[in-house]
Amino acid sequence: MNKGNTRYWKSIGDLAETRELSISEDAGGEEQRSMMEILADEKNETASSRRDFLKWCGISFFSATVISACENPVKKAIPYLTQPEELTPGMATWYASTYQHGNEYCPVLIKTRDGRPIKIEGNPSSALTGGGSSARVQASVLSLYDDGARYHGPLKHAEAASWETIDREIIGQLRNAAARGEKMALVCPSLLSPSTMALIKAFREAFAGLEVITWDAVSYEAIRQAHKESFGLDLVPCYQFDQAELIVSFSADFLGTWVSPVSHAKQYASTRRISEDKPHMSRHIQFEGTLTLTGANADERVPVKPTQEIRILMALYDAMAEATGNIGLGAGAVDYDVQALAGEILDRKGKSIIVCGHNSKECQMLVNGINAMAGNYGRTLDNSAPLHIGRGDQKSFERFAGKLQRGEYSAVLFYNTNPVYHYHQPEMIREGLEKTALSVSFASTRDETASHCTYIVPDNHYLESWNDALFREGHYSLAQPAIHPLFKTRQFQDSLLRWMDREQDFHHFMKQYWQEQLFPKQDAYPDPASFWTHSLQAGVLDTGLATQAMPAYRSGSVREVAMALQQMLQGEAEMEFSAHPHLAMGDGTHANNPWLQEMPDPISSVTWDNYAALSPASARSLNLREGDIIRINGQGEWPVLVQPGQADGCLSLALGYGRTQAGKAGDGVGSNAFPLSRRMAGQRLLFGPVDSWEKVGDGHRFARTQTHFSMEGRAIVRESTLDKYRMDPSAGNELHAYHEKHALTLYPEDHFDGHHWALMIDLNACTGCSTCVIACQSENNVPVVGKDEVRRRRIMHWMRIDRYYNGEADKPGIVFQPVMCMHCDHAPCENVCPVAATMHSKEGLNQMAYNRCVGTKFCINNCPYKVRRFNWFEYARNEAFDYHMNSDLGRMVLNPDVTVRERGVVEKCSFCVQRIQAAKVTAKNERRRLKDGEVLPACVQSCPAEALVFGDLNDKSSRVAQLIKDPRNYHLLEELHTLPSVGYLTKIRNPE
Amino acid sequence: MKNTSASGKKRGHLYAFTAILSLCLIIALATLSSFSGAVDEHVAEKEESYSRDDLRRGQRLFKGLVAFESGIHDCSSCHYPSRTDTMNWNPSAHDLAMRWLQEDDYSIREKLAMPVGQRMITDHAGMSVTEREEHLIEAYLMEVARRGPGELRAIPVNAVIFWGLGILMALALVDLLITKKIRFKIFHVMILLVGLMVHMQYAVAESRNLGRTEGYAPDQPIKFSHQVHSGQHDIDCQYCHTISKFSPSAGIPSNNTCLNCHNVIREGSQSGRFEIDKMHRAEASGRPIEWIRIHKLPDHSVFSHAQHVGVGGIECQDCHGPVETMDILRQQEDLSMGWCLSCHRDSEVAFLDNPYYEPFERLHALIRAGELDAVTAAELGGEDCMSCHH
Repeated sequence: MNKGNTRYWKSIGDLAETRELSISEDAGGEEQRSMMEILADEKNETASSRRDFLKWCGISFFSATVISACENPVKKAIPYLTQPEELTPGMATWYASTYQHGNEYCPVLIKTRDGRPIKIEGNPSSALTGGGSSARVQASVLSLYDDGARYHGPLKHAEAASWETIDREIIGQLRNAAARGEKMALVCPSLLSPSTMALIKAFREAFAGLEVITWDAVSYEAIRQAHKESFGLDLVPCYQFDQAELIVSFSADFLGTWVSPVSHAKQYASTRRISEDKPHMSRHIQFEGTLTLTGANADERVPVKPTQEIRILMALYDAMAEATGNIGLGAGAVDYDVQALAGEILDRKGKSIIVCGHNSKECQMLVNGINAMAGNYGRTLDNSAPLHIGRGDQKSFERFAGKLQRGEYSAVLFYNTNPVYHYHQPEMIREGLEKTALSVSFASTRDETASHCTYIVPDNHYLESWNDALFREGHYSLAQPAIHPLFKTRQFQDSLLRWMDREQDFHHFMKQYWQEQLFPKQDAYPDPASFWTHSLQAGVLDTGLATQAMPAYRSGSVREVAMALQQMLQGEAEMEFSAHPHLAMGDGTHANNPWLQEMPDPISSVTWDNYAALSPASARSLNLREGDIIRINGQGEWPVLVQPGQADGCLSLALGYGRTQAGKAGDGVGSNAFPLSRRMAGQRLLFGPVDSWEKVGDGHRFARTQTHFSMEGRAIVRESTLDKYRMDPSAGNELHAYHEKHALTLYPEDHFDGHHWALMIDLNACTGCSTCVIACQSENNVPVVGKDEVRRRRIMHWMRIDRYYNGEADKPGIVFQPVMCMHCDHAPCENVCPVAATMHSKEGLNQMAYNRCVGTKFCINNCPYKVRRFNWFEYARNEAFDYHMNSDLGRMVLNPDVTVRERGVVEKCSFCVQRIQAAKVTAKNERRRLKDGEVLPACVQSCPAEALVFGDLNDKSSRVAQLIKDPRNYHLLEELHTLPSVGYLTKIRNPE
Repeated sequence: MKNTSASGKKRGHLYAFTAILSLCLIIALATLSSFSGAVDEHVAEKEESYSRDDLRRGQRLFKGLVAFESGIHDCSSCHYPSRTDTMNWNPSAHDLAMRWLQEDDYSIREKLAMPVGQRMITDHAGMSVTEREEHLIEAYLMEVARRGPGELRAIPVNAVIFWGLGILMALALVDLLITKKIRFKIFHVMILLVGLMVHMQYAVAESRNLGRTEGYAPDQPIKFSHQVHSGQHDIDCQYCHTISKFSPSAGIPSNNTCLNCHNVIREGSQSGRFEIDKMHRAEASGRPIEWIRIHKLPDHSVFSHAQHVGVGGIECQDCHGPVETMDILRQQEDLSMGWCLSCHRDSEVAFLDNPYYEPFERLHALIRAGELDAVTAAELGGEDCMSCHH
């Protein structure tokens, strides 16, 4: 059975005792009770008897007779008075726009139905992201309808006020302050929008004495500073992972959150995709303390705590310097063969990339040095096309915070920034704001800083706003509103224009900026008007780059760097903490988004929680168990999670949790890790020593999705190495041929006329980023069930990312596997349904008719893949599940093409049948064959790595028909001969 | 389970009581709802200036029971005070009342003195009212507005039988168990059996038709006649329902679509200006017209006009009936799943003409071999659940 297959395990308990049924794991008292008891409890009644049932039958029969004599309700159909030209009832209208927040950037297409945005998709026209997106981008549409957390209009002292009053008072105070020469400040994060920056510049000129403070919660300032030292250029270079054959990363979670994960995933996957025509792939080495998404994808992962990691970086620099004849740092020896790594890098001159995730100038300078010695600049790193991120200035913000606390400012304006939550000394901001005469927040949703401001001048949601972005030099994109502002809010830029007494609104300001500044840079459109219209329609504009000679690398003073690093290493401790932006939460701005809160972390599969991850050995040595609650450096409380793959001595915390003023979904979820951050040499570091910790509680129960779906001891993920693959493309997949040969069935052979839909998943390209999970949720109206229900294993997601470990617990290999309905041709679920609510379509889809389902759950029981979900409750219009389906506004996000499921029915992935049907009608109407790639289920569309391929097996030229013949292809549990329509391509690693 | 013998009986009574109570409630609600008319917010405003005496005299004037100064005019002979089940082209008394209430400077006297449109001029020739008479008519219109458009009252034969039998059964039961007046128990048994059978039959028939509205033909806010537009003037359906070939929805034309023609055509040959004016008033007021929806698919089903009209080339009349003969639009079919499927099973698809169907190689081979004459929608997935339920 295990021939040629690695032994996989899903959790620590699993590894210790594979025989133990995982259902009993972390099951509290509640799980042991039957559903009937729980339901009965909720109604304060004892269990119902059969007689009661019959009585109710009688009553309902009688009522049905009476009700049936009643009239049908009168419904109205109200057409437009004047129908907008671009709007067709029943059909979607798409607008190109751009999602941007801090370093997150993604050109998107907004799907609107009857004027309301319902789905976000990546814009395929973008050269950078190419149709990919991230979970946060997918979920951003939900925050538009966040009735509770969004401000409904301007506020003064938390009381509603009119725009006239607000404008009059603020203008008056700003002018007075400017006239008296008092200090004012506008605090904003680093902005991508060139026209907003031009506007802010004009605003600063209009109000003398106004400082603009740029500050980022998660900063990339060190990369800028390092490049200033190394090249004299204040920039973040463009990282081109697609050009790299060797990727070495020091804690940079470039596939999850670092710099530009969407475009990195696209580039990375292009180097990982492997076929018989292209039997080579990149090699990825990751040094990190926290087990990140990126680390999980690495071919070689070295779990080391942060200080140790910096030692290795220094040693690698020395080894490289030695090999290339440069001056080294003189760092000590480390427990890793850096000589070999340096050799490997130098073997691939100009074809490697070294990145570091720490916001430390010195670390980044070493990385620059290694990259320069490896000849990577101009190849895998491009200084001529810099990224416009990380302009935040920690030092000037600290000065600002000090002055604010001393009451030196007479006016402070906060745009898109929340220092009371993000800054490690929030009391400075809080106290300062009390002493400031005019404090204004432009926050569009509730936040900690806004709650201390006198005036709240709410900004629009980005789907209601005009904007533009310049993420990478030469790659512009536009954002346009897809809906009128839902509330009495006003775009930040319009507020500035209004206060500057300009007649112009930001739409026209931006249009003018584009026509004046960017029109001359392109030659595709002859006149400014058509240039504007076409750019707006496309959403993206590539102006190309001016060719210029880039300054060469200069090493600077190696000694100074070494000294600074040595100083940093003095903080080495037995136990160190490391904080990282969470894959779903980011910096916490979107904490009130229940889709993101309920997205299982792909590594730990925890939802709705923040935790302190410890390696099994560290947990043992500290005498801590999973679920114990600890307080770290006196700052916050985190439950302990024992995480295989963590570096020993490294305690990892996610940022973005512990919001107190986010809204009903985000408030009080986990603890805030930002206050732990440490200042060193003008930088804010997100790692440091654990000076003190104490156990303050125990018995915390995580809401994890991990133990729901254990597939025990079977060859579910198949894996091999590049060497073996080159010798035999079916390496690791020997079982496939065996099962194909020995398959026996009593069923007649299936035949599908027309289409036979299938999905192929390349496990080598899949990074586990979970974008598809949220895309599916958004497309298919999947309800949010909340922490307690997740604990009861009732998460409703139609697709999940399974994660398996292999090897040793301290240094495991990790694989991700997206699992959705397999649409088996011999589906075990179909045979057992007593009411034929699930059956096979003529196109190979395993169908689910909700209105026929009576909820016996036999199908769930008989599904070997555990992909079916049962609606234990009515999730819509139910105050117990007040996430988005309960308010009139929240329901606006629902996809009208997909049924909102009732209580008591089973549901599951449909391969986005609504999209298949729509594409078929279009093709039939246009009297042509359906093209390959025309039907894109939400998961396939959203994948930044293009790991999922959907298509028609009957179309022999389709990509999916080609891939299913690949020797790497196998099916889940194919020994059951269920003939799934979903295929997986084996994971290949490149351990050298 | 143990407590069913003792407390179960008690609970049984409770259930019976609840059942009867809820039944009474349902009946009460149903009765009440038929009385609640549409009282406009305008009514309250203007109401005070009219006395009960004014109302009585206004009613007599309107119905032609007493003469105006200009002679006897029976307004109600054209402006019906109650609802009818056929198309009455003239504005009803309620229509007039609503128009008068909604428009601030609407004066009956002025309208009669200066009639607009050919229809109105001919029909109101020689009519005039004095200021006092106008006041009385207004008092009556106020009452009409308060009363609402009225209900069409048909004799509920089924309900009479249902309740009559119910009472008979109850009597039979009482006599059988308590009073015992009739000796032959076969009577009781027969009444109970027949009654139960009839009740069952009703229950089954009514439950099956629950939510179905075959034959539904409500009054619309504008007396729009498909007979006039698509019958008499032979306008193509898709001239107004423009999107039905490519959108899932056929689209109820927006007001501006109507105005494309009715900007010029300001007067109907039968309805005069009254109905067409409604569109112009909607345009001016910015309030869209609230049509009453007739065709409602059962819940959880998806229907695409693009598939049926655009791809299938089905005539609109196949599902909507002879629309071009209907003054008041009526739902022709019951829109049940059985009705959908019978068509999917029977109707042939233009299989050979559309290149989309080229990949259906097996079916093409069968046709070439002469084993198959035509392909039905069902054979191409028209019977798949998720084609319509997703």
